[in-house]
Amino acid sequence: MATKKLRRARLSHDLCERLSRHQITTCQDFLCLSLLELMKVTGQSYYDVQKLLCKVSQACAPKMQTAYEMKLRKSVNPSSAFLSTTLHSLDKVLHGGVPCGSLTEITSPPGCGKTQFCIMMSVLATLPVSMGGLDGAVIYIDTESAFSAERLIEIAGSRFPTYFDSDEKLFCMTRSIHLYRELTCGSVLKRIMSLEEEIISKNVKLIIIDSVASVVRKEFDTKLQGNLAERSNFLARGASVLKYLAEEFSIPV
Amino acid sequence: MQREVGTLPLAPALRARLVAAGFQTAQELLETGPCGLSKEIGISKEEALEVLQLVRQECQGDATRSAGGSGATRKCTALELLEEEQTQGFIITFCSALDNILGGGVQLTKITEICGAPGVGKTQLCMQLAVDVQIPECFGGVAGEAVFIDTEGSFMVDRVVDIATACVQHCQLIAEAHQEADHLKALESFSLESILSHIYYFRCRDYTELLAQVYLLPDFLAEHSKVRLVVIDGIAFPFRHDFEDLSLRTRLLNGLAQQLIITANDHRAAVVLTNQMTTRIGQNQSTLVPALGESWGHAATVRLIFHWDESQRLATLYKSPSQKESTIPYCITPHGFRDVQPPAVTQEAEGTEMNPRKRPRREEEK
Repeated sequence: MATKKLRRARLSHDLCERLSRHQITTCQDFLCLSLLELMKVTGQSYYDVQKLLCKVSQACAPKMQTAYEMKLRKSVNPSSAFLSTTLHSLDKVLHGGVPCGSLTEITSPPGCGKTQFCIMMSVLATLPVSMGGLDGAVIYIDTESAFSAERLIEIAGSRFPTYFDSDEKLFCMTRSIHLYRELTCGSVLKRIMSLEEEIISKNVKLIIIDSVASVVRKEFDTKLQGNLAERSNFLARGASVLKYLAEEFSIPV
Repeated sequence: MQREVGTLPLAPALRARLVAAGFQTAQELLETGPCGLSKEIGISKEEALEVLQLVRQECQGDATRSAGGSGATRKCTALELLEEEQTQGFIITFCSALDNILGGGVQLTKITEICGAPGVGKTQLCMQLAVDVQIPECFGGVAGEAVFIDTEGSFMVDRVVDIATACVQHCQLIAEAHQEADHLKALESFSLESILSHIYYFRCRDYTELLAQVYLLPDFLAEHSKVRLVVIDGIAFPFRHDFEDLSLRTRLLNGLAQQLIITANDHRAAVVLTNQMTTRIGQNQSTLVPALGESWGHAATVRLIFHWDESQRLATLYKSPSQKESTIPYCITPHGFRDVQPPAVTQEAEGTEMNPRKRPRREEEK
């Protein structure tokens, strides 16, 4: 939305030409300037510039919805609001399970079972909706190389022996779990940015990143100056993209 | 009339030409007339006419302002302001301790900033306020509507439903106790559906959308004149990452603050912002301070800081022009933002389960 070109914001052609001569091509550049600067650059009067500002703002402002509309939309598909973890007390505390459409963070000291939990959630997500799953693919971004496919099959077989009774079903399940091994912050970020198309093409219903902290702590030593800012920059950027993906596709992350 | 040509809000090129042609005051322009103007400067007659109309408008505006009329700048005595402030409503927060330290609740026409660590209850308070602003006047509310601008995506409709239901029940209890006709009438229109349909929600993904939305806010508020609360949940989030140019950030934030102050005053609305905390690394220790820097601290009139003390949530009034600095405890229940009840075993149990938004804080985590 921010990088929307001014051309598409329905400004006149000569105005766009004039602005591009000053390197102002997107809505973001336009809105970052003060009124006086805009007057200088567009060569128009104060009131005209205000009208232009309104026009450009309308082009990239978000749509309004009332809370009532949101509630109605949610009540239309109630079952897809949570992914149950099949641990009854955890589901009760979480009001249904891992929520779809927002980020959930799992933290613990080493060895508590985070990766096991992630592997179990991936199995659950591939199950059909009738069994409490999401009937979709899973994207698993592994930074610690802790994912074990054998363990995955072990969990699937012992948890749901009646469902995974044939090898065919097991293969189907493992085929829908896409594993990406990323070892640096940069590659993790690049992978997250590229996820949008993959989600649509592969019908992904769950994204797991295991784990964010390990790769960040490896690369950024907070005792060195400047690293703290860079680290928070990286984390914030990753977080905002993940939030956007979670909300846009209504999937748990 | 004696206004200099250089100060008129004309296009810069036109202004430059007028100055180059030797015009110094607005009076001279008006005396020349459109035809003379077009010949002297070399612009078309229509353009010259437009220029003159603009000049006339400006001069008229100046005249009414200097005569003390109801122009763009308002002049009034402190007595009028006092009367206005005393009749002004507050938006209650349902936590009486917090209302007390704020002097009655969140004030209209002022910017209130809520800072706090993640998970401490800022969004909860915002959602509570969005419901409370709609309480009818006979129950002590301001009967307004709310605009909720969300940058972090933490607005949960189900939670608002819980809070609104509790609020309606509360009002129903009051109506039953007092049994007055206008109470019952007001209750008919104060239902869950009406509360939810009067919360206008905008989801801004980055700072450009936020800027655009704030520019469009005056028009939106002119259409929806009953809006009395504008909440921006997470003003720090879009500005904290991906900003290499800090001076641009300061400039944008100041511009935003100005816009919000103008909006709050013109439409008699309260503006509530939530801010994050950042660590300031001092000589030997580090302290948590509100994010976005020192210059942003001047933008808000009232500043509340939420923090933890062991497992108790506390709210501190950090900056206020009229109230004393003080700290009070509060808690978040399934019904929303409330006072801390005197210690009772049942209250603890009720508070820690069932609420998806409240994270139970255990001792080991600290």
